[in-house]
Amino acid sequence: MSTHRRSASAAVVGIGEVPSGRFSDRSEIEAAVIAAREAILDAGLSPRDIDVVMPTGALASRHFNVDLVFSRLCEELGMLRSAKMNVQVMAGGGSSSSMLAVAEALVSTGAARTVLCLHSDKVGSLPRQAGIDLFATTGVSEEWEAPYGHNMNAVGALVSQRYMYETGTTEEELAAVCVSLRKWAALNPHAMFRQPLTVEEVLASKMIADPLRAKHCNVLADGASAYIVASAQDAQKMTKTPVFVRGHSSLVTHYTLSQDTDLAKLGFPEAAHAAYAEAGLRPQDIQLAQIYDSYPVFALIAMDALGVCGGERAGAFVAAGHTSPGGRMPMTTNGGMLSQGHTGAGGGIAVLVEAFRQLMGKAGERQVANAVNAVETASGGTWMDSHVTILSKEPG
Amino acid sequence: MSFAHALPVPTPWSAPYWEASRKKRFVLQCCNACDRLIMYPKRFCPFCLSEDLGWRDSAGTGEIYSITVQRAGAPTGFSEHLPYVLIIVRLDEGVQLMSRLIGPDAETARCGDRVKVDFQDVAGADVTLPVFRLDGAKTPANGSRST
Repeated sequence: MSTHRRSASAAVVGIGEVPSGRFSDRSEIEAAVIAAREAILDAGLSPRDIDVVMPTGALASRHFNVDLVFSRLCEELGMLRSAKMNVQVMAGGGSSSSMLAVAEALVSTGAARTVLCLHSDKVGSLPRQAGIDLFATTGVSEEWEAPYGHNMNAVGALVSQRYMYETGTTEEELAAVCVSLRKWAALNPHAMFRQPLTVEEVLASKMIADPLRAKHCNVLADGASAYIVASAQDAQKMTKTPVFVRGHSSLVTHYTLSQDTDLAKLGFPEAAHAAYAEAGLRPQDIQLAQIYDSYPVFALIAMDALGVCGGERAGAFVAAGHTSPGGRMPMTTNGGMLSQGHTGAGGGIAVLVEAFRQLMGKAGERQVANAVNAVETASGGTWMDSHVTILSKEPG
Repeated sequence: MSFAHALPVPTPWSAPYWEASRKKRFVLQCCNACDRLIMYPKRFCPFCLSEDLGWRDSAGTGEIYSITVQRAGAPTGFSEHLPYVLIIVRLDEGVQLMSRLIGPDAETARCGDRVKVDFQDVAGADVTLPVFRLDGAKTPANGSRST
């Protein structure tokens, strides 16, 4: 991952996904093989064409997670004695970009020909308190933070407060992010929440952790998604709609939230700068932003850093409707984790898969016309890392 | 020992921090080789990897870097604490930590407000947590807030 311009060495050739929500009758393995099968067929491949299987981590069931580590997918999908390697790549919410970066490295060096990246989890079916407690351990220090009652909604709230303090962003503008995402989710049959939502409804919902109200917060969901990565050269032979990986950069800024010295920016300015440089593209070349949300503030921090708001403050840009369907910078067109649902490490993978889907021209009712270049962001834990990936229909 | 909510489990290198807290002293780990302060306490200096580490008394003063009032959705064992105020403190020495803000006006405090350390014994456990209270005059940046 050098920071100088170069043509793409890897591309995505197939995608698969199941609807997000609460599906008590759909097991993790069933969702996983549905998503994997769809991606393999979408790429026009057969299971024995896949030589590396790369599941990310599952949080709800330790046993299922261990199954993913120990090659269950290879057995379920008929890849025994053909798959070379099954390896888990887990970076929490940052897994989307991290897996793509690892897969890119494998195919670009020839170490692998095709890599199946996959996520499946059932965090949406956890009892409510178990969900709160699970996410009060993901990037929260047992010794230094948990004894004070720290938790994931507080992460979103603490970052929101600092961001609002430094930028003048309002609660209404945070709510406008939720509204924009919901408008996209209304067009997405895989989304958990599709009914219309207004700024007034968000601001009338129950206060959870100032300034975040219930409808500013994501809801945990069951879900699965998958994509297949090949070398740029192979990809152009496999499919008419490859999506090229043009640039990626990232920066780790903390483990515990309290050790981040710039909560209003995180590592996104540095990551964006390096990713654009690697892609040889500028913010004005981007037509589509697929932004890891989980809480509205994180979408705004990323949008500010990406330079895709026409010089406006991100909160004002979103409130003016520019990121909604028909707007000039469509943002997170699957509805994001705030409307499609937060599936654990897969929330970001769904956002990434949506970027591929749009650039492949397979987004149906919500297809964005004429998008050539897209930017994707992700982060894991308590926003420990800031990832920016530039994707394109063109190899560069 | 089982307890209703999360408690710190000290490591050999963090134990002096918690022992000091029990005696209502606030201390910061420091590196004797490169003279930097270390937060949170670590086995080796994260700046120069020295293991020649020591402790310094801190006045425990600083400002609120960020703040939230948790009103619902608390982790197990913390429901009876609701509402509670979580803060990230930026100490005058430059290092940051997570804590709670307690006392008058805690729920209406804002980023930039001055704070000073205090100590709170955890009922039923042999643990004292450093917490913070608002410290004296409000900063001019927050003058719009009613007092």
